Amino acid sequence: MSIPPGSIIVSDWYHCADSREFFSKILHKKKRRKFGLLEAPMMPPHMNVDIVRYKVLISGKSGVGKSALAARLAGLELPKMHYETTGIETTVVFWPVRLKDSGRVLFFRFELWDCGESAMRRFDHMLPSCKEQVDGILFLFSFTDRGSFDDLSNQISRITESSDRVVKLVVGTKFDLFMHTDVTESDIAHFQEVWGLPVFRVGGDVSAGLGEVAPLLNALAENLWHQDCMAASTVSISPQAALRETGSEITV
Amino acid sequence: MLQAETLQLLCLTASSGVPLFSRGSTKQLPFSVVGSLNGVHMFGAGHGAQLSSCETDRGSRVVWEVFQESLMLIAVSGGGGSGISELQLRRLLENVWNCMVLVLGQDELANIRNVERLKRELRSCYRLFDLLLERVNDEQGFMGDLTRCADCLLPSTSALLQDALDSFAQAAESEFGCLLVRGRVAQATEKWWSRLTSQEVVVLSILMHSLSNASSCDYPVFLPQGSPTVAIRLLGFQLLPGVHVCVLCGPKPSLYKAENELVSRFWSTLVENLRSCLEQADRSTVPPSVSLRWDVQALLLINRESRRAVTVCPRVRGGAPAEATPLLSSRRRLELLRLFYTFAVTRYFTSQETSVSSASEDFPQGFTHVPVQCYLVTEECKCYGLQSPQHQLFLLMDLSVPTFALRTVATQTLSAITSATAF
Ligand SMILES: Nc1nc2c(ncn2[C@@H]2O[C@H](COP(=O)(O)OP(=O)(O)OP(=O)(O)O)[C@@H](O)[C@H]2O)c(=O)[nH]1
Ligand SMILES: [Mg+2]
Repeated sequence: MSIPPGSIIVSDWYHCADSREFFSKILHKKKRRKFGLLEAPMMPPHMNVDIVRYKVLISGKSGVGKSALAARLAGLELPKMHYETTGIETTVVFWPVRLKDSGRVLFFRFELWDCGESAMRRFDHMLPSCKEQVDGILFLFSFTDRGSFDDLSNQISRITESSDRVVKLVVGTKFDLFMHTDVTESDIAHFQEVWGLPVFRVGGDVSAGLGEVAPLLNALAENLWHQDCMAASTVSISPQAALRETGSEITV
Repeated sequence: MLQAETLQLLCLTASSGVPLFSRGSTKQLPFSVVGSLNGVHMFGAGHGAQLSSCETDRGSRVVWEVFQESLMLIAVSGGGGSGISELQLRRLLENVWNCMVLVLGQDELANIRNVERLKRELRSCYRLFDLLLERVNDEQGFMGDLTRCADCLLPSTSALLQDALDSFAQAAESEFGCLLVRGRVAQATEKWWSRLTSQEVVVLSILMHSLSNASSCDYPVFLPQGSPTVAIRLLGFQLLPGVHVCVLCGPKPSLYKAENELVSRFWSTLVENLRSCLEQADRSTVPPSVSLRWDVQALLLINRESRRAVTVCPRVRGGAPAEATPLLSSRRRLELLRLFYTFAVTRYFTSQETSVSSASEDFPQGFTHVPVQCYLVTEECKCYGLQSPQHQLFLLMDLSVPTFALRTVATQTLSAITSATAF
């Protein structure tokens, strides 16, 4: 279902010297830069760097770490306490990627949609709103909560239909609390075999920098791009045309 | 009972005294104390007396209030001469209740069917409760939680922003829109001021503040007075880090649509204006065209009709003579400002909404005139309060200002701000 890492984009690109000028656009004083909706990283026009926009839903039960994951991927401060999210919150994350074949660089703009479980339960319009025009879904379970792992298959079938054209990835949170882990490596291997979905592990401090979030963001980029290329080729237009319009953000 | 500078918030069911939650900076109060606090209130009620507040000889305070005959809220503050007044605690309870309604709706709270379930549901309000508790000793000059006014910023380029906001709100099928800069209201639609109650404006600002990290949001909210049983939607958008616009609307438009079709259409041409608002906000809540005297330590100006307020607490003093005493810390000035505000509105500028039990002065009783000015000289500063049908001004001045000149300075300050900003 998903493609192997590094088949379309240069994995670990953030290590390479030629990525520096791109990554510097999403950094500010060694931290991740914050972007408002009217802003985007901007490269000189002659470099012809497009921004491709995707909507990604973060799904999982209350306390599993949805809001923490959104903050982690955006490089924001992690919530120390569990405050329930009582509506939908979105977080914009920019991520530069180099395509393997053409060598072309793209800025991915992920908008992460995080809806608290209690809000989802109490208000009927939340789920349809989260699913509107969604391109990818991250299904979360927590390494410290066996129930959340066992519920994954339910969760996936509850939220998606087989006809949906969405990228699906699974993320195990609180991996740093391995001492209390309720989910073993063989559980995960088995799950991956049955579902054909990659499983990512996150946890701990974000101080480790980009390396900590790169595997997941790269996988998202790669799978979303692949999905678009496939869709574009089935309606026989070139993958180029699948480029989303870049919107009207301004330079920062 | 509690250490100085601490604050505890308790919630119990009013009928049976079952504890629902407790929030606060310190260790939770032991169950026996919570039980006694509830007990004395019940004892009073049984004898036809309503216990509303008490103060210990060491300056601890307790304030009780029952909402909708369903929930009892209790605030307990530590003593040690800290400056948390009864009015502040009473407002805290009111804001806490309004936040509960905002998130859960009144039905859930007024008719308790299942206590365990309610306990669970109340957890979703904890973020707002904790923000409200922090606000009591806030150091950034937010005072809306006490004054029941929206904390505002007066931008220089307001007409452009107002037009953009009005059109944006209209396109989002809403009459209620508001632009916030660093958590302060910089602009709002006419209905935001005329149709929402001041308590609603305050809790909506708090909610938006709690969401300031999100790029956008879609939050179901109940308006405590306007729509306590039917949820409407609060859509919020972070235009720039520190600049947010929000609208209250019905089922349409979807968050996705509003964000992708409306945000850049109405706001992208105003990026530079918004940036200069941010720069101004980092310097002062009033535009540079307002020049204040150097000996003004801090001030709070309220527009009584629209329930808007600006707080000014200068970071540096421009043009002060060399021998001038240094400014008090801004934390202390804001504390003094809150205390002076409380002093003035509970004793002199009284109204229904500010009457508290501790207003001990006999002076206003049976006195039909309305005081319009008051002053207070302390060891740290001189304070002057002034009210007109439209405004209230609370001013902290240097000790060096002669007392007889305070009135003139206050009048001049008021007109300096109102004439430059049409506030
Ligand atoms: N140690 C550790 N704690 C985590 C991790 N992710 C989340 N947490 C903690 O788990 C708690 C809940 O996380 P949230 O992200 O708020 O949970 P949520 O899924 O958004 O929950 P709802 O909004 O109620 O649906 C918080 O106290 C987080 O600090 C992690 O990777 N490691
Ligand atoms: Mg959450």
